[in-house]
Amino acid sequence: MLNVIWIIMIFAGVATSLLTGRTKEVSEAILESCVSSVELVITMLGAMCLWTGIMEVARKGGLVDSLARLLKRIFKYLFPGIPDEHPANGAIAMSISADLLGLGNAATPLGIMAMKELSNVNHNSPVASNAMVMFGVLNAACIQIIPATVLTIRQQAGSLNATSVMPCIWIASFVSAVSGVILAKVMEKRVYI
Amino acid sequence: MMVGFVSNLVIPAVILLIILVAYLKGVPVFDVFVEGAKEGAKTSFNILPVMVGIIMAVSVLNASGLTDILTGLIAKPLSLIGIPPEIIPVLIIRPFSGSASLGMFSELIKKHGADSYTGRVLSTIMGSSETVLYTLAVYFGAANVKNTRHAVAASLISSYLGMLTAIYICKIL
Repeated sequence: MLNVIWIIMIFAGVATSLLTGRTKEVSEAILESCVSSVELVITMLGAMCLWTGIMEVARKGGLVDSLARLLKRIFKYLFPGIPDEHPANGAIAMSISADLLGLGNAATPLGIMAMKELSNVNHNSPVASNAMVMFGVLNAACIQIIPATVLTIRQQAGSLNATSVMPCIWIASFVSAVSGVILAKVMEKRVYI
Repeated sequence: MMVGFVSNLVIPAVILLIILVAYLKGVPVFDVFVEGAKEGAKTSFNILPVMVGIIMAVSVLNASGLTDILTGLIAKPLSLIGIPPEIIPVLIIRPFSGSASLGMFSELIKKHGADSYTGRVLSTIMGSSETVLYTLAVYFGAANVKNTRHAVAASLISSYLGMLTAIYICKIL
């Protein structure tokens, strides 16, 4: 799937640049993108180390297990086929908690770890399991209690009531999450792509 | 102010709580932290090639002007179902690029005012959606998955349903 998306994006971009005469800009953007991806990874490197380290401390301290036990029922429905004692349960629980708390930088490293654990359950197959797709879809909904980044930008833009959008944000992410779960459950039964 | 205080406290409080609980249970917290952090460093470097591929393709799309052309094409029909034309660039770029959509958001919210309808819709969209394609690419890339099945379709559809909800809910609330 990524193979197809990738080639479509590049093909469409290059073809358009021929029509719009923006080949120079595209050529510069390609070289520039290598620099910015390294910048991004380097910026993320520290956060990645911090949160995987903290996660390891939380696991050894038993906090991850407690969290996983708390969310067990929901997980049984959303991510079927994961053995009870598998570390994937804890990894997903930590990742979703980080999303909820709006930990920002922490969410990506924890999400990656959870996806890797889910892949282990799936015997590291190159084909995603239902649980892996469900986890990816849930991440798209960006459920968070306090959307800190947005609130900060609103305040900077001179909002008199920056937090007034919070109910709207909760409702919109709820709709996105619920429809995502339904779509994933419906679509997993068919072979669309 | 209260919200700012709470959100500033979340990260330090979470870290403190985790370390404290582990320490009380006799875990050598610093040694364990360093062990875990090494894993994070390895994963980061494994992700770099995925990042280069994705970011390159996105910047080709943006630089070629295709994003702008698409925006212009669908602005009219979308305004018929109540979607304001000024937010359409954000709707299109949101699933692909976090930094680009955040940049557009900051500019538009200053132009239209944070408490205007446009400002509130954009805030709601930015707060309730994720850079879907990028996140999926990184997550599945890190797990070495080649066939993501229905992940992209389901995520994109649910993401846009969330954005549509944002557009309509801001008219009511």
